[in-house]
Amino acid sequence: MKINFILHNPEFGPGSLRYIFSVLHLSACLLLLVSLSACSSQKDRVFSKTRVLMDTAITITVVAASQEGAEKAIDSAFREIEKIGKLSDFYSSGSEISLINKKAGISGVKVSPDVLQLVEKAVYVSEKTGGAYDMTIGSVSGLYDFHKKVLPGKDAVRKGLRLVNYRDISIDRSVSSVFLKKEGMLIDPGGITKGYAADKALECLKKEGIASGIISVAGDIRAFGSKPDGRPWNIGIRNPRAESREDDVMATIELMDAAISTSGDYERFFFSDNVRYHHILDPRTGRPASRCISVSIIADEAAYTDAFSTGIFIMGPEQGMKVLEEMKFNGVIVDNRGRIHMTPGIGGRIEFKNSP
Amino acid sequence: MNLRILLNTTTPADKVLFSLLIIVSLSGYLFADKLLPENPSVRIEVNGKPVYILRVTENRTVPVKGPHGYTYVEIKDQRVRISGSPCANKLCVQQGWISSGALVCLPNRVVVTIGKQTEENMPVDAITG
Repeated sequence: MKINFILHNPEFGPGSLRYIFSVLHLSACLLLLVSLSACSSQKDRVFSKTRVLMDTAITITVVAASQEGAEKAIDSAFREIEKIGKLSDFYSSGSEISLINKKAGISGVKVSPDVLQLVEKAVYVSEKTGGAYDMTIGSVSGLYDFHKKVLPGKDAVRKGLRLVNYRDISIDRSVSSVFLKKEGMLIDPGGITKGYAADKALECLKKEGIASGIISVAGDIRAFGSKPDGRPWNIGIRNPRAESREDDVMATIELMDAAISTSGDYERFFFSDNVRYHHILDPRTGRPASRCISVSIIADEAAYTDAFSTGIFIMGPEQGMKVLEEMKFNGVIVDNRGRIHMTPGIGGRIEFKNSP
Repeated sequence: MNLRILLNTTTPADKVLFSLLIIVSLSGYLFADKLLPENPSVRIEVNGKPVYILRVTENRTVPVKGPHGYTYVEIKDQRVRISGSPCANKLCVQQGWISSGALVCLPNRVVVTIGKQTEENMPVDAITG
């Protein structure tokens, strides 16, 4: 239209000053257009940063236009994760979780919204897994030491088990307080905090204007948006029987706006009399659960995938698949004989590399 | 069409100007590729602060000072491993060789990552488990 106007307007004779300006103007427009298209193909890049927080390695990956923007967002997400780590640290005496544990059987403790949500979500997962996931396992898990290969005696485990029951967690939302009903009870939020932290980190990134990325808190992963080329993120599920190599994957799965977590018996473990003692303890026996070797769960929130993967690992493949169906979650379960159980919703998105 | 009329009425100088502008714009593509480093690199951080960024193509072993002493990072044949560590459990050494992803020594606060900053062809973007 502009060209038409210029060419059919009698005032625009070739050689006139206005004509030259118009051509220059057109050229400038063209230049802008071409250079813009050149920019957009280079615009979105993937930035990634790894830090050690919450005693684990955390990697945040974002798609952003500039390094500055990416780093600003990533740093704010790391600060959020650090904050949640401090509030929920089972081992630090000053954390809110420790305060709740110290006041067990005595009184309720007023907690921050984060810890309240964390405990609420944990209790919800306990209900949905029939108590297979139970954060009050602290009175038993504290008896094991997987680095020093310490196995607790039967009596000690039996005594600890008496205090394991998520129904004895009393939550009062109106005053934001948590009360453990029995003295000696210990809540260990280790099976849900990392996922919860990933969820909160995502909120931070979104606030900073990031539209896609991955937060990986030691294998609890929350992915959002897509890669710069529009494809979904590719998440590897670790091969549960490749202990020497961290990057050996059993399968890869495509993920867009979802979370995935994997619970495995290979993470913290030792052998004693040819029995593998690992960190996922069955709240009914106080012993490591043995029905599965690896359980990966896909759902909307990482807090849920984190806790449900632990719960379903303990329940085993048959009951576990029922829970997945009821919750409408997707999952891949490798049972103790190496057989793979998979929800139908996962087909077409998963690619197996090596069978475990 | 109008474009033909435009071409007929433009002077040779206009055409030169047009082509020059187009060439300048297009050269942006080439320079962007040249200016952004695309080689995979090994990045070593202590306590979240980068201390080394090394080429994966150069075989070498570097000592990395952490709070507990020296962690030794070895690069060989485009792979990387932690070959020695002052930590108690040596989980980092047990991780072995990797060609993508990260090696971590929690006690000594050392994080080694390998891969491109702008990775397009990486087999996986993250690992669960």
